[in-house]
Amino acid sequence: MTSVSVIDELKRAQILELLEQGKRVDGRTLDEPRKICIEINAIPKANGSARVYLGDTQVLCGVKIQPDKPFPDVGDKGMFMCTAELLPLSHPTVETGPPQAPVIELARVVDRGIRESHMVDVSDLVIEKDKSVVGVFADVVAIDYDGNLFDACSYAATAALLTSKTPTWEMVDDQPSVVEGADKPLPITTIPVSVTMGKIGNYIVVDPNGDEWDSMDSRITITTDSDGNIVALQKGGSDGFTQEEINQCGDLSIKVGAKIREQLKSSKQESQ
Amino acid sequence: MADKRKYVIPGDVITSGPFRPEQNVVLEGNNIIATSVGISEIYEDSVKVIPLTGKYIPKINDLVIGKVISHTSLSWELDVNSCYVGFLPAQDVFGRDFSTHADELSSKLKTGDLVAARIANFDRTRDPLITISDRDLGKIDDGILVKISPSKVPRLIGKKGSMIQMIEMGTNAAITIGQNGWVVISCETEEGLSKAKKAVEMVNEKAHIANLTDLIKDMLDGKDES
Repeated sequence: MTSVSVIDELKRAQILELLEQGKRVDGRTLDEPRKICIEINAIPKANGSARVYLGDTQVLCGVKIQPDKPFPDVGDKGMFMCTAELLPLSHPTVETGPPQAPVIELARVVDRGIRESHMVDVSDLVIEKDKSVVGVFADVVAIDYDGNLFDACSYAATAALLTSKTPTWEMVDDQPSVVEGADKPLPITTIPVSVTMGKIGNYIVVDPNGDEWDSMDSRITITTDSDGNIVALQKGGSDGFTQEEINQCGDLSIKVGAKIREQLKSSKQESQ
Repeated sequence: MADKRKYVIPGDVITSGPFRPEQNVVLEGNNIIATSVGISEIYEDSVKVIPLTGKYIPKINDLVIGKVISHTSLSWELDVNSCYVGFLPAQDVFGRDFSTHADELSSKLKTGDLVAARIANFDRTRDPLITISDRDLGKIDDGILVKISPSKVPRLIGKKGSMIQMIEMGTNAAITIGQNGWVVISCETEEGLSKAKKAVEMVNEKAHIANLTDLIKDMLDGKDES
């Protein structure tokens, strides 16, 4: 969000009151994410793509794979980059223009979760060392906002990468050229899943919706890989977490993440 | 009348001839053209389009529900579900002898508070002036806020308030309807509250259905709880 959206006090009071009874505004339990719906290949012409609905939040990810010059210090590795943007039609408070801090944070958190899990094995994306490597670019746009873009964008990027097909290149006259009919899946090593939790009062809620997002005091996004290891973590908001709360969030992210990982896997199988 | 009502989209020529263009239409040459999605209505000498969707355009004397989004040392700013920001001067709350030194605005209304207010003055060149100094106006302390489309407010009220009276009677809830499409429902029982909310949302979704009153009545009587 670029300008701050203000939640009305009555709603905030209602959310807190319900939490004290162990309930949430939309009837979920505290550790229950919203319904996730994954649509693979939403953009037919991209190398890979996915549209993800997380409740009323909707995001779209497209993957572009192309040869590129490697970074000078890592000539033996390919490139992976993930960006995220908000469309002005996604929410009334979104403005056009250069991205503001929250949007930059969104892109970085999504990128970091996937990058640090080493989901895409970049050492397998080299055409010729120090000369030409394969670059994988996952671009995510938010189409509808109803809280928790972190997870929605992360699932979309992960689902798109899982099902991406990359062309094969070989060096001809010092230039990479496509080998026809040799498309193959990306080298995937693990499936990272991010789980964002909000703290409202003294309660931890998984996958806050738009209203909960506006009324929470702080949030934490934890990404886990297929082995259940924590690979990335981002904390936001002005309030803090106690040691026990952090532990609780870690356990939640592994437990909830495992279920979502199964869903990502099954959506991949269905698309084949 | 009925045969002259039709659905239009922006750019549609509604009619041509010596008509006066009213809301959401423009006169181009001899043609009257719609500028928003809605239902066109042709009267004896004028044409207008009732929008199916869109933001609230303030009108003087409208009762609206506003949400405080910020304040300066002299006034509050209210979100009134419009493209304009509501302007509530401090004098309206503190009285004539308001002093920027002695009176702290956030002591009366703070960011996030909901108020029932009236549009005191408005023209399209400046933001609407809001007042809360009247009977039944002021800060709303309890209830839930339900947002519906401003164009469906007349349907929620019904002919001479029939629809809203029926919902209030059926659920024992007190419902305040702002012309801007924001509705505050308060009720002593949890059940009545959720029922009233459901009824209001149903009107919003099914405003175009002819026998809506019967549908709502059935819902309130618990007939569709299958």
